[in-house]
Amino acid sequence: MEMNQPSRFDAIVVGAGPAGATAALKLAEKGYKVLLLERGRGAGSKQVFGGRVYAELLRRVFGDLKDAPIHRWVKREALMLADGDRLVAVAYWTANSTSFTTYLGQLTSWIVERAVNAGAVFVDEVRVDRLLVRDGRVVGIEAGPDRVEADVVIDAEGVNRLLLERLGLVAKPKPAHVALGVKEVIRLSEKAVTERFGLEDGEGLAWVIVGSVTDYLPGGAFVYTNKDSVSVGLVLHLDAAVRGLRAHVHELVERLRLHPLLRRYWGDGDVVEYSAHLTIESPEFIPKSLVHDGLIVVGDAAGLLLSTGLTVRGVDYAVFSGFLAAEAVDCARKEGGFTRDVLSACYEQPLRRSAVYRDIVRRKRASKLMKDERLFRDAVRFAVKAASTIYELGEETPKLAEALEEAERAARLSKLSLALMLIRLVRGL
Amino acid sequence: MVRVVVGIKWVPNTQAVRFDPKTGTLIREGVPSIVNPHDLDAVELALKLRDRYGGEVIAISMAPPSAIKGLEHVLGMGVDRAILISDRVFAGADTLATSYVLANAIRRLGSFDLIIFGQETIDSSTAHIPAQVASWLDLPYVYYVEDVEELGGGRAVVRRRLEDRIEWYEIELPAVIATAMHSQQPRPVRLSYKLRAKTERRVEVWDNKVLGLDERCVGLRGSPTVVTKVTWMPEVPRKRQVFRGDPREAVKWLIEKLREEGVLPY
Repeated sequence: MEMNQPSRFDAIVVGAGPAGATAALKLAEKGYKVLLLERGRGAGSKQVFGGRVYAELLRRVFGDLKDAPIHRWVKREALMLADGDRLVAVAYWTANSTSFTTYLGQLTSWIVERAVNAGAVFVDEVRVDRLLVRDGRVVGIEAGPDRVEADVVIDAEGVNRLLLERLGLVAKPKPAHVALGVKEVIRLSEKAVTERFGLEDGEGLAWVIVGSVTDYLPGGAFVYTNKDSVSVGLVLHLDAAVRGLRAHVHELVERLRLHPLLRRYWGDGDVVEYSAHLTIESPEFIPKSLVHDGLIVVGDAAGLLLSTGLTVRGVDYAVFSGFLAAEAVDCARKEGGFTRDVLSACYEQPLRRSAVYRDIVRRKRASKLMKDERLFRDAVRFAVKAASTIYELGEETPKLAEALEEAERAARLSKLSLALMLIRLVRGL
Repeated sequence: MVRVVVGIKWVPNTQAVRFDPKTGTLIREGVPSIVNPHDLDAVELALKLRDRYGGEVIAISMAPPSAIKGLEHVLGMGVDRAILISDRVFAGADTLATSYVLANAIRRLGSFDLIIFGQETIDSSTAHIPAQVASWLDLPYVYYVEDVEELGGGRAVVRRRLEDRIEWYEIELPAVIATAMHSQQPRPVRLSYKLRAKTERRVEVWDNKVLGLDERCVGLRGSPTVVTKVTWMPEVPRKRQVFRGDPREAVKWLIEKLREEGVLPY
């Protein structure tokens, strides 16, 4: 009955998210014998994301995206500063889209299906308990009583890095480095989504909302339009939430869904999905080393996510790192083995030289800025008060300077602190 | 040594299925199918018996080819052999035509001690199949079984739990039993088993060339059941009444309301 050595693989990929699935696909295409393992039922069943994927890196890895499960191409963006039942919106409209909305489960299934067709072995509903280490090098994985060995393991376990923690390669995440994302998917008809948001067929939008929607805590709410549904949720920086959150997070999401200015878009829809997940909020989440003997770390596990406050990218970075990992396996085989030094030269260094990685680490300042609680409270109050003074007119029509002064008083901000905040904002973003 | 056959149904995940309020039918499009959850109780009981007495567990399912995934799941749990009965002529079958095919497929397996089914399926809940298979094969049948306590010498003692009592039956083997839902804790899949199921393509597929059944007795043609009408249960709007204040008062208020509604008889 017992089977100790079911089969041996060239590579084992732990986690069928966008990073792991891409690595498995590219390895299978190169002819490697690859095993892709997933804890959930089916590909992507444990994933949560906001709702949008940037296309450029995906095109580079997958070619044209004609048969990809794309819901809508994002052509309208907005940043909204919300203070109670008033909000200021800064909108950007374009005919040229660089990102699309989708369900991540669908996108991941699409990649996994390609990987399986290319020859990868995909096994779901199996939890990997630990990485198998022999003489200091990773030689495979353990799942329950079973062990499977391979030349190299690609760790695509996501933001909850239990395997890496167990090996002592990373510490438990610090609250300052992560955020909590909570999301509801609200089903409407395709027509309703298109018409209510002023879109054309196939067009989508992305909104970021800060201020009272998060109780003025660092983080923000988001809205993405899918084909026949809307993803509505928020992200709260964990350390600030622990300190300052008064309501339960799900109450904040409910409040957002029922927001007097926003519920007209989706209030009659059915909530068909509720999900929550940790997400990365700081480049300090990146492990000191992205490779070890016999091990490559990709995707969220490698900290490859960039949240600028206005945009969030993670899925395309995950795909990119999975692609690089597959290239690295090829490279390491030619360079004589899967030692840490070779993998560093073949994976870690190219990754660290990439624009993706540089963009993430140079946002250290932005990630500090995103923790500035005054920005999310005072600046929002200032902007909304100024706008309401300008637009809500009675007998008098105040001058702009008067409106700003009144807003300064309302937000209890001095001109100096306002100026400083503006400078930090521009430098940070 | 025991030889146990387990019946598996590949069903749409009814938690994810929605109804079309106009036609009253299931919208199955895009809904992933799963192994009927109650069948996993049957698989677990079969595996326990095999672990205790040695022998073989054979899973059998009549379904479209996509059910290979479901059979791979039970192979992953440790089932020894999995057979998918799949042929276009079997499509559209009611429970009679389905049980006829299953019974004939089981006959082909040679001698066995037990056939175990789950209590019912989540997509139709008829619980017909085990009883009908027992009828076709002329075997004793006990349902709501929690456990098989003894097995050997051509007999078994099975325990079943009803609402107000527990019953023990001594039955002659071979026999058919159906497990009570939630009576077992199905084991998780094992990587090595599932890997073997995937890499060695272990699910056997039997079509009607293998079974050679009269086409008048299978599929839509062999199904006398006619669904004459489906009525839609009207949605009862919630009253959304909230009581705020002292919990003791709240209890009184709640009881009063439940009486008014006729939920409480007195």
